[in-house]
Amino acid sequence: MNLNPFWSMSANTSRKQRSDNEEQSGHEQRASPARLSFGKKQLPPIPKNAAPVTKPASTGTPAQSANGTHASYGPFYLEYSLLAEFTLVIKQKLPGIYVQPSYKSALMWFGVIFIRHGLYQDGVFKFTVYIPDNYPDGECPKLVFDIPVFHPLVDPVSGELDVRRAFTKWRRNHNHIWQVLMYARTIFYKINTTEPLNPEAAVLYEKDVHLFKSKVVDSVKLCNSHLFDQPKIDDPYAISFSPWNPAVHEEAKERMFTYKRRPEDHHKGTQVSGLSWVKPGSTQPFSKDDSPPQS
Amino acid sequence: MMASMVANGSRDGQSLVLKGVDPETCMIVFKNHWAQVVKILEKHDPLRSTSSLSVINLSSGSSGSPRFGPIPGDEASAVQNYVEHMLFLLIEEESGQAGAMGPILEFVVMENVMERLFVWSLRREFTDDMKLEQLKMYEMLVGQAHQPLLHHKPILRPLMMLLSSCSGTTAPRVEAELVLLLNQLCCVLAKDTSILELFFHTSEDQGATNFLIFSLLIPFIHREGTVGQQARDALLLIMSLSAENERVAKHIAENTFFCPVLATGLSGLYSSLPTKLEVPNEEWHCLHREDWLRMPSLVQFLNSLEFCNAVIQVAHPDIRDQLVGYIYNGFLVPVLAPALHKLTLEEVMTTTAYLELFLRSVSEPALLQTFLSFILLHQHENVHILDTLVSRINTPFQLGTVSLALFRTLIGLYCEDVMLQLVLRYLIPCNHMMLSQRRVVRERDCYSVSAAKILALTPSCCSPDHSPPPLRQLESILFSKGAETPNTASTKEETETFLVEDDGSGNSCTIGSEIYLDVSYLHYLYDARLSISSCIRACHVWSALYDGEDPPPEKYQPGVLEEPGLKSRQTQMALRKVPQPVVPRPRPCPPPNAEPASVSQLELEWDDSYDAGPMQIAEAPEESKPPLPPSAEPPMHIQEMRKTAIMLVKGSYIEENEFQDDVMVYDLVAKKDARDVERVRLNSSGAKSEEAQPGPAEVSLKNGLNLTLPTPLMADNKSSSDTKAKSQTDCNSNLQNTAPADDLLAQYEELLRTLDSEAAGKLVKTDAEMKKPVTPAEEEEEEMDFTSFTVETPEKLPHSPFGTKLSSGSAGRSQSVPFTGPFVSVLLSRMENMLSNSLHVNLLLTGILAQLAAYPQPLLRSFLLNTNLVFQPTVRSLYQVLATIKHQIEDLAATGKDFPKLITAAQHWLLARETSVMEADTSSSRQSNQGEVGRILKSSPPPLPKAISLDRTEVFATVLFTEFLKELAAIAQEHSILSYIPMEE
Repeated sequence: MNLNPFWSMSANTSRKQRSDNEEQSGHEQRASPARLSFGKKQLPPIPKNAAPVTKPASTGTPAQSANGTHASYGPFYLEYSLLAEFTLVIKQKLPGIYVQPSYKSALMWFGVIFIRHGLYQDGVFKFTVYIPDNYPDGECPKLVFDIPVFHPLVDPVSGELDVRRAFTKWRRNHNHIWQVLMYARTIFYKINTTEPLNPEAAVLYEKDVHLFKSKVVDSVKLCNSHLFDQPKIDDPYAISFSPWNPAVHEEAKERMFTYKRRPEDHHKGTQVSGLSWVKPGSTQPFSKDDSPPQS
Repeated sequence: MMASMVANGSRDGQSLVLKGVDPETCMIVFKNHWAQVVKILEKHDPLRSTSSLSVINLSSGSSGSPRFGPIPGDEASAVQNYVEHMLFLLIEEESGQAGAMGPILEFVVMENVMERLFVWSLRREFTDDMKLEQLKMYEMLVGQAHQPLLHHKPILRPLMMLLSSCSGTTAPRVEAELVLLLNQLCCVLAKDTSILELFFHTSEDQGATNFLIFSLLIPFIHREGTVGQQARDALLLIMSLSAENERVAKHIAENTFFCPVLATGLSGLYSSLPTKLEVPNEEWHCLHREDWLRMPSLVQFLNSLEFCNAVIQVAHPDIRDQLVGYIYNGFLVPVLAPALHKLTLEEVMTTTAYLELFLRSVSEPALLQTFLSFILLHQHENVHILDTLVSRINTPFQLGTVSLALFRTLIGLYCEDVMLQLVLRYLIPCNHMMLSQRRVVRERDCYSVSAAKILALTPSCCSPDHSPPPLRQLESILFSKGAETPNTASTKEETETFLVEDDGSGNSCTIGSEIYLDVSYLHYLYDARLSISSCIRACHVWSALYDGEDPPPEKYQPGVLEEPGLKSRQTQMALRKVPQPVVPRPRPCPPPNAEPASVSQLELEWDDSYDAGPMQIAEAPEESKPPLPPSAEPPMHIQEMRKTAIMLVKGSYIEENEFQDDVMVYDLVAKKDARDVERVRLNSSGAKSEEAQPGPAEVSLKNGLNLTLPTPLMADNKSSSDTKAKSQTDCNSNLQNTAPADDLLAQYEELLRTLDSEAAGKLVKTDAEMKKPVTPAEEEEEEMDFTSFTVETPEKLPHSPFGTKLSSGSAGRSQSVPFTGPFVSVLLSRMENMLSNSLHVNLLLTGILAQLAAYPQPLLRSFLLNTNLVFQPTVRSLYQVLATIKHQIEDLAATGKDFPKLITAAQHWLLARETSVMEADTSSSRQSNQGEVGRILKSSPPPLPKAISLDRTEVFATVLFTEFLKELAAIAQEHSILSYIPMEE
């Protein structure tokens, strides 16, 4: 199967632009270092960035909010915990796995996994990760394939992967979402048939590997034939594939490849701010050789 | 006259006429004119030589007496007329084929026209007018000629002679014209460097200074106005030339006084700056653009500083290094260092403000490095400038505020060396935390635990839902962004539909839709993101990560650089006699209540009641007895001594006290006077008595600082009510952790003997000052005592049960005793006084702390923000300080009936202030960066409501405290995602 590895993640570009803008505005700070301390602690009247949609508080009954307790910051903690998880995923650089939190909620992540060898070779499986809203103290996140892959550990109806067997108890600080993603990848390379969600697959794997294999090939074909379907969930950040179209994709491809080279230039251009004359390995100020002697 | 032609601009008309004329006709006209001129010239030249320059003595020529008899006016003006026309013809001539000379130019060169004209003008009276005329003539030629002229010696030579004859000129008109011409020459040089060689050669022929145009410009370096600006611009052109031309660089560095003139010029200009600034109000803390624009001398200094900056930017490295060296040794060390140690508080404050402004004005790394190494490494009278500056943060006067502003600027440079000296070097050894905690340094706070703990310190009286709109900014933030419409009803609907379409498997994807949240927190998150990410980007150039492993804690050599300085400073101070401050005595002796304790509280505030926990008792095991009930309070002076002794036992605050020397005295004065005024205010109910204005307090400080201050000013700084409250808590905590008095007294005696006399002498003095009116005789006796056993006593140390802890040298301390450095200590201790600090001091303090917290280095981040990290018991953390403040606020809120009302009033006022600041900000759409902050503090704040005065610092501090918690929490949260993103992102 000849797949084009370029799919359009429309959301990606808009995100990048935003962070670029942030960078630019960040530069101005050095010029007026003093700025930082003011204009903040003084109860700004209107939110500047309207990233999360806010709705006006229902008229004048603050007391009833959150069961009488004062303002809660809990949702902020949750949002940032999930963002932290996402940065961890980025850091892991999991082979063949791409995820993207949904636009609507940080509790829902879209993903796709590319299988590069083994029984499921050439498989491209889209999935969605659902994170419980009491994260990290709840149960482990769910991972549901868009199309139920033929696999002992994947529910043939719902497409849900049996994640819980690997994370019997979700422990904060020890368990992270990247581990779930990693687990989702492993099952396609190392097949486990105990207590299957799909008993048919399990039995076939044990008794008739050939048939199992052909069923897997069919399943992979099925999944890949639906690759260009509209995303199951309507969300601006949902991952969607489309056939190669030079008019659209060539430019994106170009940008992806040139972007790799950019960081160096980037640093040269923005080297405005930081200063250091400390020689690496030294803890003395002005220990670098190129610091001219003063006396 | 030629000059008038230029001025009238009639040339344009003529050039139009010339356009149509063919070159040959022009040539004929030119030759004709010249023939007429020559006739007149030769008539007055007795020698009739074509080139007579060799016999002309330039210097006598410039004195201007006609040597060959007067020249009739009509002949002179005839020559002028001809020359005028000739010049136009020359200017308009296009160069020949392949860059060859045009015929007129060739004729000018062959006939040596320019030189002969110059000689002619010398022969006549060589007045300023004449110079002016000649200068303008060349200016016109150089600026407007269509073909290059300066390549030709017959043109260049007379030009150089003219220039050198103008060198000593004092007439402003001539100067202006001279500089203009020089500027133009430099422009030509910058465009066509091949002429450079000629300039050197011509000068050699002349026997004058090698590079005449350069030397001529030097005297104008520091000139104000257009002339100075043009001269500096011209010099800059030469400087950038030097970057590529080794010869020019070498010449400037070796044969000219350029660098010394530039650097010493700074010193000269600095000396004309006002030594005392008139401070507009108490809020003032740094020189804004509007401030210095009104001070011509400061504008001039800044121009020259900016010029140095530009020279360093463009010049050859040799020149750069030389200039930087001269600035260090010719300005910073001999001028600025003493200025920072002037005699009066106002002078020192002024110098500090200047220094802060200079740091903001300088942008070139090499120059910035010079200033920074001066601040960080230079020792004035054996004390590091940095130490002095840090110690001044704690002065309760404007000097303290200005010092805070200076450090805010320093921290804002993102300079590794600065951060290393200020904070990081004390954190690298990881002594400040428990050994087992080292791995925590790098840990990421995945679940915003620290943010939650920080926000949990929000005082109950400031909870957002206690305040009425518009202060209350509680709204339901829909983290799940299904809805586009702001309408409440439809939002709900859409959320629901969103949930419904969500495959029905019960996966709720909404966060906090039903909880009312503090919307203002979003701003803090946004700002935190900006400030952390720019800080991360800036710190890319740093040499190490400062994560507890790099640099390795074991490898760290504590403060090699400052060792000699510290030691000699200690001995010096030990030998110096500290004069007793002359303070107006309180008329009646105060009753022995908590008040005296509050006085001494300030200098002892290193002792932190918060961390006086079980760990502390463990340090002095023999004292660990059940705490006494508060009723059994021993007399005040015993309590004080005890407290001091605890400090010594803990061993960590000795050096801090050293830093405190100045500060202590300031504080004492301020405190006492505050009390006096307070008492008088209470006693003389309504009627303003004369006692309310005690005479100015004169204090002599250990470094010879004499300050004379009107007392009411100092009294304003403190509100005694909260210090009182604070002192009580402290006393209590003291009692809980200390043993019976006699036990301690005995130890105390021993300690005094074993300590070096500096620390001991000071301690006794402080105590003596506080406890009882000391007679001069007594005091002298004590002092004598201590100096007498300075040298021998340290040998007795081994007997002390507290052995190593007591060595007061910083080397011993930094290895064994946890210490997070004087800067952090002084910041935290000022922070601890938040409730009695004025609003703007708190703004500065929280601003500095927030900026420190934005640094991504794990050592710093974990120290300031990680609430899970377990520190050594003697180390005070930001969180502890914040917790202390929260308790103080809760106490206040519980006792003060009108407190909630005041809080609301303060919030309203701060909100209005913020709005007016933002309006001012947008209206004057950032013309200057430096002005912005100025506007924030200056733009006339809205009138205060009657209900509250700015003196109620505790009210404003409470509001600010609450906001600061949000700011810190937001920074902590953003760190948890930003600091871990791989750098390539």
